[in-house]
Amino acid sequence: MIDFEEELKKFHPSPEVEDAETQIRALDVTDMVDLIVHLEERNITQ
Amino acid sequence: MRCFNCGAELTSNTFCTNCGADIREYRRIIWTSNQYYNDGLTKARVRDLSGAVISLRACLKLNRTNIEARNLLGLVYFEMGEAVSAFSEWVVSKSMKPDKNIADDFMETIRSNPTRLDTINQSIKKYNQALLYARQGSLDLAVIQLKKVLQMNPNLVVAYELLGLLYLQSEEFTRARRILLQALRIDRNNTRVLYYLQEAEEGISARYGDDQLAKQKKQGSRASSDAITYTSGNETIIQPVNSGEKRGSSVLLNIAIGALIGAGLIFFLVLPSRVRKASAEMNTQLKEVSDELTVKNADIEEQNKTIEALQAENNELKGSLGDLAGSSGMAERYDFLAEAALNYMRNPDDVTGTEALLGRIPVGEVSANSLSISLNSVQTLDPSIYSQAFINLYNYIDNDVASRAARTYIDSGKEKLENNDYQGAVEDLLKATEINPASDEAWYYLAESYKESGDSVHATQAYSRIVNEMGDSEYAEKARSNLSNGAATENTDDNNNGGDTAEQIQEGNAAGNEQDEDAIAQALALQALETANAGAAGTE
Repeated sequence: MIDFEEELKKFHPSPEVEDAETQIRALDVTDMVDLIVHLEERNITQ
Repeated sequence: MRCFNCGAELTSNTFCTNCGADIREYRRIIWTSNQYYNDGLTKARVRDLSGAVISLRACLKLNRTNIEARNLLGLVYFEMGEAVSAFSEWVVSKSMKPDKNIADDFMETIRSNPTRLDTINQSIKKYNQALLYARQGSLDLAVIQLKKVLQMNPNLVVAYELLGLLYLQSEEFTRARRILLQALRIDRNNTRVLYYLQEAEEGISARYGDDQLAKQKKQGSRASSDAITYTSGNETIIQPVNSGEKRGSSVLLNIAIGALIGAGLIFFLVLPSRVRKASAEMNTQLKEVSDELTVKNADIEEQNKTIEALQAENNELKGSLGDLAGSSGMAERYDFLAEAALNYMRNPDDVTGTEALLGRIPVGEVSANSLSISLNSVQTLDPSIYSQAFINLYNYIDNDVASRAARTYIDSGKEKLENNDYQGAVEDLLKATEINPASDEAWYYLAESYKESGDSVHATQAYSRIVNEMGDSEYAEKARSNLSNGAATENTDDNNNGGDTAEQIQEGNAAGNEQDEDAIAQALALQALETANAGAAGTE
């Protein structure tokens, strides 16, 4: 038997049009390539 | 592939030939990212949308500049009904690669249909509201809201998931199973949906037994096998396989049933409406006609009143015309005057004829009994009735013939009196008094004629007139003597006592009346004498 309350916690509000800008900003995150570039730059500096 | 450090084109070496950077890890990351992209693409092709989302997100965590993966992720989001997330991915994609980006087409497609975008946004708002209801414990409201959401946005997978969960919570397992199966048609390998579906089937088995579950599964599989499902754009179209047209008698039967249903609809729905409409129109027309009738009746009544008024005026005018043109009308009076004038000119000596014609013209209110004519009364024509020319001609003729006519009548009366023609004498002398009321001779012989004819009352009246009004006359003394001696009644008494004529015998029955007349005459005579004596004393 599922735990209704626990299952309900897994649901999140779907982003609305008004929240699009916030969502777009959140999408522009650092990826693995950025980490490698960052590490490479640090190695060169050292 | 380009170097992450300097952007130069990489070769098969493990380092960048331009800047010398180690590219082994970089190659591995890119390779892994591409693997995730391929995995996501494969899953999206088999409608494992949630799996595709996981793979594509992993892909982008490794290499956020993977434009194809980002565009595909947006497309998968859109297919799952989450348009805002899809739009966000495409915007980011566009910012990373402004030119020759298919995300432009995706966004343009959405922008070209603002109504559709607004509907999707409204459905998302309602979903969030439903989630809030569910968290607040208002499960019924949440279910109602989610049903609306799925009507507006039938691809919103999270709405199916939440609705399925709510049905499970309310132990409506069959409904939950049906909803979750619908969600699986959109997202075939959604882990959460599969989990809930399993719970729903377990609930059905526990409540109704395995047979019921097997039956439902069989129906579901038959339904799915009886339908062809394909995707056209963003829509999933399910078409039944065995939907061939019926043929033969069944077609005719269906047509007949359809016709009967149509006739029934017309009879029960359309016809009453038409009847009501027609009745309303009839009532309106009836009211208009009634109003018109009322107005016309009022007109008719007014015209009737006008006709009555005109009729009354007509009658009045006819009466006036009759007065003018009738036997007693003005025209006849002119005729009498004209005849009198003609007779006066042709026969100057026929004064009585002329006077008789003039006498037919009414002068005033003259009593038939000439004894009531006053001596002082001057008979003149009314100027308001007769024209001045009429009056002048009348007076001219009357002044000339009146005295001569009176003289003629007096002479004739006296002659008839002497010849014992008392009635003729009375008639002539009456005419003489009418013509010339101041003639004492006429009055005296009239009294004598009355006395001789036995009319003591009139005789007394005539004598009284002479005594009272013509005291200076040569006949006054004789009249007074007759009154004082009772001479006015003497002859009557003689006639009554010794008369043996047939006429007197017939009048015998009225003797009582004659006695009364005698008493009246005597009283009148006494009164006349007293009046005369009083007048004489006053003069002295």
